[in-house]
Amino acid sequence: MDFDAILLARLQFAFTIAFHIIFPSFTIGLASFLAVLEGLWLSTRREVFRNLYLFWVKIFALSFGMGVVSGVVMSYELGTNWSEFSKMAAPVIGPLLAFEVLTAFFLEASFLGVMLFGWKKVGPKLHFTATVLVAIGTFISAFWILSANSWMQHPTGYEMLADGTLRATDWMAVIFSPTFPARLAHMSLAAFLTTSLVVGAASAWQLLKDRTQPESRMALRMAVGMFAIVAPLQLVAGHYSGETVREHQPLKLAAIEAYWKTRPDQPQSLVGIPDREAAKTHYEIEIPGIGNLIQGVSKDTVLQGLDSFPREDWPVVGLVYWSFRIMVGLGMAMIGLGAWGVWLIWRGRVDDARGFLWATVAMGPTGFIAVIAGWIVAEVGRQPWTIYGVLRTADSVSPVGAGQISASLLAFMIIYAIVFSAGGLYILRLIAKGPAPILAEPPPDGEGRAPGSPLAAAPAEPREV
Amino acid sequence: MPAIIEPPPGPDEAQRPLWKRLGWFLGIALASTLATAVVAYALKALLV
Repeated sequence: MDFDAILLARLQFAFTIAFHIIFPSFTIGLASFLAVLEGLWLSTRREVFRNLYLFWVKIFALSFGMGVVSGVVMSYELGTNWSEFSKMAAPVIGPLLAFEVLTAFFLEASFLGVMLFGWKKVGPKLHFTATVLVAIGTFISAFWILSANSWMQHPTGYEMLADGTLRATDWMAVIFSPTFPARLAHMSLAAFLTTSLVVGAASAWQLLKDRTQPESRMALRMAVGMFAIVAPLQLVAGHYSGETVREHQPLKLAAIEAYWKTRPDQPQSLVGIPDREAAKTHYEIEIPGIGNLIQGVSKDTVLQGLDSFPREDWPVVGLVYWSFRIMVGLGMAMIGLGAWGVWLIWRGRVDDARGFLWATVAMGPTGFIAVIAGWIVAEVGRQPWTIYGVLRTADSVSPVGAGQISASLLAFMIIYAIVFSAGGLYILRLIAKGPAPILAEPPPDGEGRAPGSPLAAAPAEPREV
Repeated sequence: MPAIIEPPPGPDEAQRPLWKRLGWFLGIALASTLATAVVAYALKALLV
């Protein structure tokens, strides 16, 4: 493989965005979870909700911070590695990203301060208002980022000026491009799923150690309820999103399903090894006659295969094909886990079902994996375009050398390995300790570690009550 | 060491007057916005 500047710039963006997406996909759901917990505490005054809030708010703050840091890097990359893209598309993309900062990021950052430092100072109701505002902010953030990305997937409402730059002619068409609603729904549900799986895993881990732990019993039930509802909904949203891909990006659909030939009555490929050079799938297991049905069209409808497009426009078929199958496979496992959990709760045996608890722990990271796999489908499937049909990736890169990009990529890899490993391990350590130490009151003499302080999860003498 | 993440007031704790609570609410929000802006400008100054 020839590591030229374009490939390295793509690898760098893929590396940084794969790290970044982990955090917002977690914090979007977690902010709403915190709002629900605080709302339940306000209405019932049950300590279990307060304790869960205090436990998860710390993890939210750390994740939010790491999300900000990893997000800032990407906006600079647009300038350093993708200056041609920025030069051409900034009049359209720039305002969308600026709206995200002004309407979402500042909302989140401002009221996160109240969430963390002001519960006694502002009182319970104003504090709850702050939590709700932060939760709303995370959705507004997703709205603008998905809007910008959806416009790149299917650009509408713009014109190209004589100097090659783009200008918006209809902002509503830019913001609400045709694939946007389905993608926003798909991503928002993915965030809820990711969070509920993490909360479920953390709670199951505690219950494996102590099945009577009240906070974890409550959180497990809330998490199971959430992913039991959201996982099937995600299947519907994913199908709806797939329909927009069929309509607006038939080449991407052909890569996702490894449709090599244009034909009616496409088969449904389950697994196999797509071979881009030979234009066929090796060792394929397929079900004939249901491909069109799954795409929601009649058997007679002709679905475009890769042979309808110039070969130089084909994305990396194997990567798109397998990323999609990983995402869907994990989604099916989430539906199964949800059904299993609901059945156990209904039978009153969920806290004793060690097999289910271990499965829930094992499924904890799968939301993140599915989100990253989904983004690979979306982004690699769009190749060789950065703005579909308008600007090729090869024409988007900055006039910089492979050496410069490799040096910054190496620096990113080292820094990320240190910073995010430390942050990630700290979060895992907090999760492993569970909500119980939060209940500890500081010793009367003022020594020891206070509840909610960053060192509360450290292994020193937490007093359990 | 005082708690960095402030816990809720206890059931017996008297609430401050509304104007004080609103003052804290706006004050903390503005201070947080200001802190974010300072970091943003510092980053910009570092790179430009």
